[in-house]
Amino acid sequence: MNSEEIQKLQAAALAEIGAAADAAALEAARVKYLGRNGRVQDVLLALREAPVDQKRELGRLANEFKASVQAAVDARKEALQSSASAASFDVTLPGRWHGLGSRHPVTQIIDRAVEIFGQLGFTVADGPDIETTFHNFDALNTPASHPSRDPKDTFYLDDTHLLRTHTSPVQIRVMQSRKPPVRIIAPGRCYRRDTTDATHSANFHQVEGLYVDRKVSLADLKGDLTYFARQMMGPDVKIRFRPHFFPFTEPSVEYDFSCHVCHGKGCRVCKHSGWIEISGAGMVDPNVFRAVGYDPAEVTGYAFGMGVERIAMILLGIPDIRMLYDNDVRFLGQF
Amino acid sequence: MRISLSWLNEFIALPENPREIADRLTFSGTEVEGIETVGSTFDGFVVAEVRAVEKHPNADKLSVCRVFDGQNELQVVCGAPNVVAGGHYPFAPVGTTLPDGSLAIKKAKIRGVESFGMLCAADELGLSDDHSGLLTLDAKWAAGTPLSKVLGPPDTVFELEVTPNRSDCLSMTGIARELAAVYRKPLNLPAITGVSEERATDDARIRVEDAVACPRYTARVLEGVRIAPSPDWMKQRLERSGIRPINNVVDITNYVMLEMGQPLHAFDLDLLAEGRIVVRHARACEKMQTLDEAERELDPSMLVIADAARPVAVAGVMGGAGSEIRNETMRVLLESACFEPALVRATSRKLGLSTESSYRFERGVDVELAERASRRAAQLMVELAGARVVGGVVDVRAAPAAPRRIAARYSFIRDVMGIEVSDAEIRAILRGLEVQVVEKGGDAFEAVIPSFRADLEREVDLVEEVARIHGLDKIPAPLPRATVDPLASANQTTRARAKLRAVLAGLGVTEILNYSLVSDAALDLFDAGNRAQRAPIPRPLSADQSVLRISLIPQMVETLGRNRAHQIEQAALYEIGRTYASTESRVVETERLCIGLLGPVGRTGLDRRRAVTSEEMFLWVKGLVESLAAAMGLSGLTTQPVSLAYAEAGTAVELRAGEVVLGTLALVDRRIRKEWRLSDPVGIAELNVAPLLAQALDVRTYRDIPAYPSIARDVAMIVADSVTHEDIVRVMREAAPPELETIELFDIFKGAAIGAGRRSAAYTLIYRSAQQTLTDDAANGYHEAVKGALRTKLSVELREG
Repeated sequence: MNSEEIQKLQAAALAEIGAAADAAALEAARVKYLGRNGRVQDVLLALREAPVDQKRELGRLANEFKASVQAAVDARKEALQSSASAASFDVTLPGRWHGLGSRHPVTQIIDRAVEIFGQLGFTVADGPDIETTFHNFDALNTPASHPSRDPKDTFYLDDTHLLRTHTSPVQIRVMQSRKPPVRIIAPGRCYRRDTTDATHSANFHQVEGLYVDRKVSLADLKGDLTYFARQMMGPDVKIRFRPHFFPFTEPSVEYDFSCHVCHGKGCRVCKHSGWIEISGAGMVDPNVFRAVGYDPAEVTGYAFGMGVERIAMILLGIPDIRMLYDNDVRFLGQF
Repeated sequence: MRISLSWLNEFIALPENPREIADRLTFSGTEVEGIETVGSTFDGFVVAEVRAVEKHPNADKLSVCRVFDGQNELQVVCGAPNVVAGGHYPFAPVGTTLPDGSLAIKKAKIRGVESFGMLCAADELGLSDDHSGLLTLDAKWAAGTPLSKVLGPPDTVFELEVTPNRSDCLSMTGIARELAAVYRKPLNLPAITGVSEERATDDARIRVEDAVACPRYTARVLEGVRIAPSPDWMKQRLERSGIRPINNVVDITNYVMLEMGQPLHAFDLDLLAEGRIVVRHARACEKMQTLDEAERELDPSMLVIADAARPVAVAGVMGGAGSEIRNETMRVLLESACFEPALVRATSRKLGLSTESSYRFERGVDVELAERASRRAAQLMVELAGARVVGGVVDVRAAPAAPRRIAARYSFIRDVMGIEVSDAEIRAILRGLEVQVVEKGGDAFEAVIPSFRADLEREVDLVEEVARIHGLDKIPAPLPRATVDPLASANQTTRARAKLRAVLAGLGVTEILNYSLVSDAALDLFDAGNRAQRAPIPRPLSADQSVLRISLIPQMVETLGRNRAHQIEQAALYEIGRTYASTESRVVETERLCIGLLGPVGRTGLDRRRAVTSEEMFLWVKGLVESLAAAMGLSGLTTQPVSLAYAEAGTAVELRAGEVVLGTLALVDRRIRKEWRLSDPVGIAELNVAPLLAQALDVRTYRDIPAYPSIARDVAMIVADSVTHEDIVRVMREAAPPELETIELFDIFKGAAIGAGRRSAAYTLIYRSAQQTLTDDAANGYHEAVKGALRTKLSVELREG
C-alpha cells in the first residue's frame, strides 16, 4: 500500500464507522479495520516493507490511521450510547423507593412541646401509669372527699393503686428526688372513666409542666405559656387566664389561647368566641411543697397541664378524638 | 346554679349589659356557662277571665270557653284540663305571636267550633316547660290587664358553675357579694325585721346527739299559718332558679335558701310526735319515706332528724313524707341547721339522692348563717302566710369560734402575682370581699376572715383573692427566664427515643397508638397462657377495656386487620407503648416497640400483585429489625428459634444483641389471622425499648479506612437444607484468618437439577490485609482453607468453575 491508498482506506473506515447504525455494526467495523486480522495489518505490512526513505512518511500515516479510526470508533460509540439512553425508557413512570413512615399526631405534639419547653431549660421527667393514691391525690393536696377521687371517675386497681388520672404525680416524684430549682416537663398517658365520644377518651395524654425556684410568679407562668403558645400555634397567639379551683394550686387558673385560625375575630374553630380553652394551671399549693419536703417559705412555683389530644385536634383540625386511636393509615398518613 | 339578673339587681346596682356582667363574673372566678333570656314583652297578650266553660260538642278533651278580654266576650276552644269558669289566665288574642315565634294566633275552626285566640300554659309563654295546664293568674288581675304587667319584663338568667371551694357563692347574696367587690359598689341585702333574735327559754324540745355531725341546730315555731300558693313574684323567682313552687311555706324555705345559701326545712309541728326534735344517727335497718315518696332504708352512718318516735328527715338531704307541710298545716317548726359536709356527701351518695340542700351542705354552709336565715324565713312567713312567731329561737350549738386571722405580707402577694399592686389597692380589694385588714407595721398585715369564707386559710389564699379581683388580665406575660437546668443530661432517653422514631420513619414504618386497656378475649386469642400475669381492672367500663395490655401485639394485628377491611393492601406500622405484667408484689410496666407488616411492603418494584410468601415476610421483618438495630448502635445480632403461642410454627425467633434479649419476631398464626380475614402472612416484631435506646447516643469513634486493596473470591456449593446460612458463615469464619473481611450471600437456587432437600448457595468472600497489599497467592490460600472446611465440616458439594 502506498500513502495514497492508506489515506483512502482511512477515509473509507471513518465513513463506515460514522454510519454504523448500532453497537454491533460499530463493533464489526472496528474489527474490520483495527482487529487482529483487520485492514490495519495491511497498513503495518506496507510500513514494514517500505523502502527506508519512505518509512518515515508511511509511519506517520499508519499512526494517524490507527489513532483516527480508534477515535472515530470511540466517538461513534459515545453517540450511539447517548442516543440509546435518551430513547430507551419512560421518565414519567412512578419512582421506585420505599417511602417514609409517618408519626402519630399525638407523639408529634408531645415532641414539639418537649422541644419548645426544652428551649426554656425544661427537662423531661417520667412516671408510671400505675400510681399510688399518695402520688396521684394525697401529695397533691386532694382531700379524701374530693370528687376526682370518686371510683366513678377513676380506675382503681386496689385501695392504694390506680391508673393515674393526670400527669401531676410526676411533679411529686421529681420533687421527692431533687432539690429545687426544678424545671420539668412530663408527657404521658392518663386514664379516666369517661365513656368514649367525640371529645372524650378513657385513655388520653397530658403534658405536665413544673417550675420551682425562688420567686416564681403567675407572671412567669403567663410568659412561659405565651412563649409555648406562639411556638406551637402561631406567632401572634395570646394567653388568657380565668380564675379556677384545683386542690394542688393556689391561685389556680384555666388558660385559653387566642384562636390561631381567626386571630381572635371569632370563627368555627373557637366557636365564635375568639378563644380556645386549653387547660388548667396555677401556683403550686404550699401543701404540695410540704408533702415533698420543700419549704414553701423558700420557694414558689408554677405547674400546668395540657391535653395533648386536644391540642392535636385544635391545631390539625381533627374533628373526633376517636380518629386518633382508630389508626387508619389513610388518616395517619396525613400528618 | 341558675340566678335571675333582675333578682340580683335588688342586691346591687348592675350595668345594663348582661354579657358584661357575665364576663366580669367569669374572670373573677365564677364561670357563667350560659346566658338565657326568660319571659318576654308579651306584646298584645292580656289577662282574660273565663266566664263560662262548656264541653266541646265534637271532642272529649276540649272545652269551649266564653272569654272576657277586658273589652269583648270571645269564644275560645281550650284543651287544658284545669280551665274553670271564673279563672284568670294569660290570653293570646288573634294577631299575636307566641314569644318563641313558633305560632301566630289566627281565627281558627277547631273540630268545627270557631276559636278567637288562645289561653296559654306556662311553656307556651316560655316561662317553664310546664304544659300540665293553663297558667293560673291571681284574680286580682282584672281582665284586659297587659300580661307584661303581671309577669314583669323579660329577665336574664345566668347558669353559673361555682367551684367546689366557694360554697358561699351558692346564693344570690354570695354572687352579689362577689359583684360588689368586682364593681366596688355597695351591697343592699334585704333588711330582716319583725322577728326577735331572742333565744327561747325552753330548749328541751330539741336534742342534738352528735354535735360533730350537727354543729348547729336552730328551730323556730310559727302558728296560725295559712297554707296557700305563693305570690307570683316568688313563684317566678323560684321557677327561674329551677325550683318548682309548692305552697307558701315550702316556697319560703326554698326562697331563703336561694337568697342566702342556707337550706331550711319546715315541719308540720302537729305531725311531730311529742312536738320534739332529736338529731341522731339512724338505727340499723330503720326505714322512712322521703318527700319524693320513696321508701329509704337507713343505716347508722346516716344522721336523721327524728321526733320522739321515728325519723322525719334525712339530715341535710331530704325531709320525710310523714311530717311535710299539708294544706291543713297550722303550726310550723322551722329548721335551720348546719351538718357536716362529709357526712351529708356520704349519705347522699348511699341513698343515690342529691338535692339542692345536700348540694350545699356537701360543700359547706356557714355555721353563722343558720339563725339569720331562720329569722328571714320567719319574717316572710309572717308577711306572706299570716304566721305568728311563737317564743324565741332554739339554738343548739357550741360557742361561736373567733374569726380566723391570717398573717400576710403585701410584698408576698405582689411577688406571687409578679405584678406591682399598691398596698392601698390590696387593702381595698380585701375589704371589698369583707375581709378586714389590720396593719401590723411595714409590710405586714393581718387579714380577718368572715365566717362564710372557710376557703381562706393561708396567706397564699389571699393572693388568689387579690389576683382575681384585681384582674388576671393585668398580669403581664414577660419573656421567659430561660435559665439552664443543670441536669440537662436527663434528656438523653428522650433524645434516644426521638431517634428511634426518626429511624422507624426513615425505614418507612408508620406510627400508631392503641389504648392501654384491652379485653381478655383479645389477649386469650394470642396467648391464653399468660392470664396469670395480666393486670385486670376492677369494675371495668366495658369488657372491651377490662385488662391492662400485656403485649402490644393483639392490638397491632387488630389494627392491620381493620385497615385491611378498609381495602388497605399493605401497611408497615409500629407502636411504642407500655405493657403491664403482674408479679407477686406489683404490676411491672415495660416500654415496648411493636412492628407489624402486612402485604408486599418489602417490594419496591411492580410485582405487588404476586402473593407474599411466608419466607419473604419473615425476612422483611427481620431485615427491618436488623436495620433498626444497626441504626440504634447495636451489633452482634443473633436469633434463636422459640415457640410463641401466636406464631406460625417454625417462624418465631428470639432476637439478641450480644447477651441482651431484644425481643421476638414471628409470623402470626393463620388461626388468629382468620379473625380479621387476613389471608396473607403478617409479620410481627415485639422488642423492648430500653436495650434499643441503650447505645443509641454512644459516640462512635473513628476507625481507619482500609489503605490496601481487597481481593474477592466466590464460592458456590450445593448444601443440604438442614445446614443453615448461619452454619455456613460460622464455618467460613472459623476456617479463615482475620483477613476475611466480609461474607456476602449472592445467590440461592433450588430446583430439580439440584435435587430435593438441597440447595445451591453462592457467596462472595472479601479478603483484605490491614498491613499490605494482599497477593493473589495469599488470598487463594485463605480461600482454599475455607472451601476445605465447608467440605469436611458441612459435607457440601463445591461447584467449581
